[in-house]
Amino acid sequence: MTFAPRLTGSSRPARRSVLAIAALSGALVVTACSPSTTGTSGSGGEGGDGKVTLTVWSWRVEDQAAYTRIFDAYEKAHPDVTIDVKAFKATEYNKILATGLAGANGPDVPQVRSYGQLQGTVAGKSLLPLDGKVDLSGWDDNVVASAKGKEDGKTYSVPLARQTVQMFYNQGLFDKNGLKAPTTWAEFIAANDRLLAAGVTPIAVGAKDDWTLPIVHEVLAAPRFGGKAFQGEVLSGKKTFTDPDWVGSVQVVGELAKYMPKNVTGVAQTDAQTLFSAERAAMIPGGSFDLSVFQKANPGMKIGIFQVPPAPGSPSGSTATTAGWADGNFAVSARSKHPAEATELVTWMTSKEFGQMVTDDIKQISAVPGVEPTDPLLKQMSDSYASSGSPYLLLTDFRYGAPSGTDLLGKGLQELLLGSKDAAEVSQDLDAGVKTWFKPTA
Amino acid sequence: MTTAVVSTEAPGEASTTPVAPRPRRRAPRVNRPVGGAGAGVLLWGYAALALVPLLLMVSNSFRSNADLITDPLGLPAPPTTSSYAEAWTTGNFATYFGNSLLVTVGAVAVSTSVATMAAYALARARSRIFRWLESLFLSGLMLPIHLAILPIFYLFDGLGLIDSRLGLMLMYAASGIPFSVFVLTTFFRQLPEELEEAAALDGATSWQTFWRIMVPLVRPALATVAVFRFVPIWNDFLFPLVLLRREDKYTLPVGLTTFFGENATNYSAVFAGLVITTIPLIVLFLVATKQIVAGLTAGMAK
Amino acid sequence: MRRRTGLVFVAPALALFAVFVLYPMVTAFSYAFFQWQGTTRGAFAGLENFATLFTKAPFTTDLPRAVLHNVLFFVGTLLIQNTIGLTIAYLLHSRPRTRRMLQTLYAMPYLVSPIVIGYLWTLLLSPTFGPVNTLLTGLGLESWALPWLGDPKTALWVVILVSVWQWIGFPVLLYGAALGGVPEELTEAARVDGASNRQAFSRITLPLLVPAVGTVSVLTFIFAMEAFALPYAFGGSTGNPAGATDFVSLLFYRTAFDSGAADAIGSSSALATLLFLLIFGGAYVATAVLRRHERRITA
Repeated sequence: MTFAPRLTGSSRPARRSVLAIAALSGALVVTACSPSTTGTSGSGGEGGDGKVTLTVWSWRVEDQAAYTRIFDAYEKAHPDVTIDVKAFKATEYNKILATGLAGANGPDVPQVRSYGQLQGTVAGKSLLPLDGKVDLSGWDDNVVASAKGKEDGKTYSVPLARQTVQMFYNQGLFDKNGLKAPTTWAEFIAANDRLLAAGVTPIAVGAKDDWTLPIVHEVLAAPRFGGKAFQGEVLSGKKTFTDPDWVGSVQVVGELAKYMPKNVTGVAQTDAQTLFSAERAAMIPGGSFDLSVFQKANPGMKIGIFQVPPAPGSPSGSTATTAGWADGNFAVSARSKHPAEATELVTWMTSKEFGQMVTDDIKQISAVPGVEPTDPLLKQMSDSYASSGSPYLLLTDFRYGAPSGTDLLGKGLQELLLGSKDAAEVSQDLDAGVKTWFKPTA
Repeated sequence: MTTAVVSTEAPGEASTTPVAPRPRRRAPRVNRPVGGAGAGVLLWGYAALALVPLLLMVSNSFRSNADLITDPLGLPAPPTTSSYAEAWTTGNFATYFGNSLLVTVGAVAVSTSVATMAAYALARARSRIFRWLESLFLSGLMLPIHLAILPIFYLFDGLGLIDSRLGLMLMYAASGIPFSVFVLTTFFRQLPEELEEAAALDGATSWQTFWRIMVPLVRPALATVAVFRFVPIWNDFLFPLVLLRREDKYTLPVGLTTFFGENATNYSAVFAGLVITTIPLIVLFLVATKQIVAGLTAGMAK
Repeated sequence: MRRRTGLVFVAPALALFAVFVLYPMVTAFSYAFFQWQGTTRGAFAGLENFATLFTKAPFTTDLPRAVLHNVLFFVGTLLIQNTIGLTIAYLLHSRPRTRRMLQTLYAMPYLVSPIVIGYLWTLLLSPTFGPVNTLLTGLGLESWALPWLGDPKTALWVVILVSVWQWIGFPVLLYGAALGGVPEELTEAARVDGASNRQAFSRITLPLLVPAVGTVSVLTFIFAMEAFALPYAFGGSTGNPAGATDFVSLLFYRTAFDSGAADAIGSSSALATLLFLLIFGGAYVATAVLRRHERRITA
């Protein structure tokens, strides 16, 4: 008869069939190979002449050419090794990596996430421990932490880059309005007011993309909660995110909202970057990884950076800071057919030679100690981190469980900017969220 | 999801069929357009709304990137085709294009063929087991197949089908079966059984009857099913993303994501890439609409 | 048709379907009943993974909200799409000359991938560059120039409306075909009896369309419960802003691939199973209701 009844008529038998399927599934599960029992089958092919091909995966599509250049140098020094670099879109990379590490044709040397987001990969025993093979002694503690398994304390990857967050500003627009990089909060606010009066958006923020907001919070308000000192206290359990200083730091973002684009929660990050590149906004909080984006988008624009000075009410002794973390780490897949060669490659990634190429070709701050960035702005970022750095707390310490600190604060700050929650409530939510999995050390 | 979405359309058309007791084709004596000129304006206005974003995509693809950044919505004056040259040469679109065509056409052909055979049997066989099988196929309409991405990956891994366009094609073919069976079964049910009885008297085998008599009769429905399966497969990027590794095997949408990454700030190249991926569908659709509409109306009129 | 012949005809489809759809789906469901460490399957876990969905953060807040959004998406899409679709189809029915042309134009957005649709509409609705708000301001409707995708109050509705916009070609085509199936004699007779256009439509035509509307509803339900591509293109995997455009499929995606949690496969598979049960149950109830309704009409 009519179609709808057809569908109905078939629903009852369908229910029976589903039961049958469920019964069958038991049998199927037994015969199904569990994903992890599939035999090792790394992608590295072996030529007849004993040449080894190592496959490297990265989420930086924009850097593929640079990586190819860098690995050319390695191939020259290691004639038996060919390196095949493959880059995937960053937003899809997690999915690709999850399957790549579990099955055939995967990478030998994958780029892996750092800190908490590395842990799932480690727990699946997808990576080879590198202890005793790579030497990270003398590296920044915060950087080394990015590469370790939380449970077993072993090293599973080699950090590629140190990322820092800071305020970028348009020097031309600042000059035109008689402004210079502020060193006190009063100067910072005065600059904002001057720019606003001149019809320029003072601070470009893309609050539609929640992941950008914890970075905005770090840049604008890290001194307000106390930077590195607060990290120690919150990790030991002496303080929580409901601490008045933390609430105050969240409040700073809310108070500065008037200097951000109108309807800021509707502005995407790409819009915010375009506002800055098109010289319609004078400042943008961003990461060291954004620098090359701005330089490419508007080569004629003169860019500067500064640390936002401490907001009023900051704990005594609190100074302007540059928050940082490590990422882009490379690891060795447990399924690689050539673990020795792959390990040698990641060991080379701890060398100054590699580090220098990373900073020159990829325009990032190398994680290798002692490597000096050639780009003056990158060097300034690197120096600021060295002299007055702090960890980007929510990323480095609060991504070891779900919900993660960055996710919670990102969403919370959107609610703050929308006016649906105040700073105390946002902090309360963050505290309650991380408490579901976070255990203080003391 | 795609399967179900697509089905919003065709099965519904079937549903009205039986209710209508002997329709008169169209209404030859429609006196005057309902709603008059006002409604006419509304209809064309809505058509504009349907097209504007697409026109924006085309228009922006003919502008330079510098132009786009300062004014994202201006007109292409003067138009430039450099972004197409760039997309086509640096983006490997020729390769992706071939792969997409191979996978999509193959999947639609396989899916439609096996589904037509199955639908015929389901419509005609009386045994209980066929009711059961029909329910099984229909339950496939409710399976959110993209949530099974991990098991599918492991299956492909086990079968050695990673990096195989054939594997991807078979996967798409399989995922289209519930929808195709759903639609085609209805169409076969509407055909009078006397047709086969006559054929049997003439000594035709089941296969001959099916192939020579029944299939030609459901041709409009086949066109409908094929086109509505074609679009989601052509646009899908989840499965090729996970199941293909080598760039020379990529389909257009995956190639596009890579291209997006490489040209994150080169908007005009991105728009050119978007146009290149969309054009074939528009052409296909324009060519096929006549068939589809005929298919739908034929379904009604039975 | 003989049973043996029938089975031969069904076999190829069944084989493909079983290997590439049923088997992976059933496997996915089976994953939900085990403990997981990354991609390594551990011991049988019973309903533990399901319990997680109802007792642990972030599921306790995210899951009910996501389900609510799926339901709103369904109701909104159904009401708006059916109303607009039916209206357009009805208007087109009396315009045979422009019908084909307009039907084709309305169906165009369907051809473009949802990722691209999301990208284009985000650009159009952007509060900084978007022409929509510029236009509204120009028309003196400044208070209407909202941050469409930036406000939780409007974002979900934007997703719903754009989805309707993308799929409207279907109800138009479909109801057009259905209207073509309504015998002219019936409406003609009603008019002779003194019924107005509107009366003829609501008393004669509409009831005859009920089965079509019913089937569309069931399929819209399945579509809405599985919604993924468009919300992902608009709000990313976290359902920006502030979770206002979060859906069950997005939650699955986050849990499976972005959480980094060691037991991600277990809880995400439980979520997939739950979603299937929701769809199956909903479709079952909906068809039952429809059938009763139809019987009343035809009786």
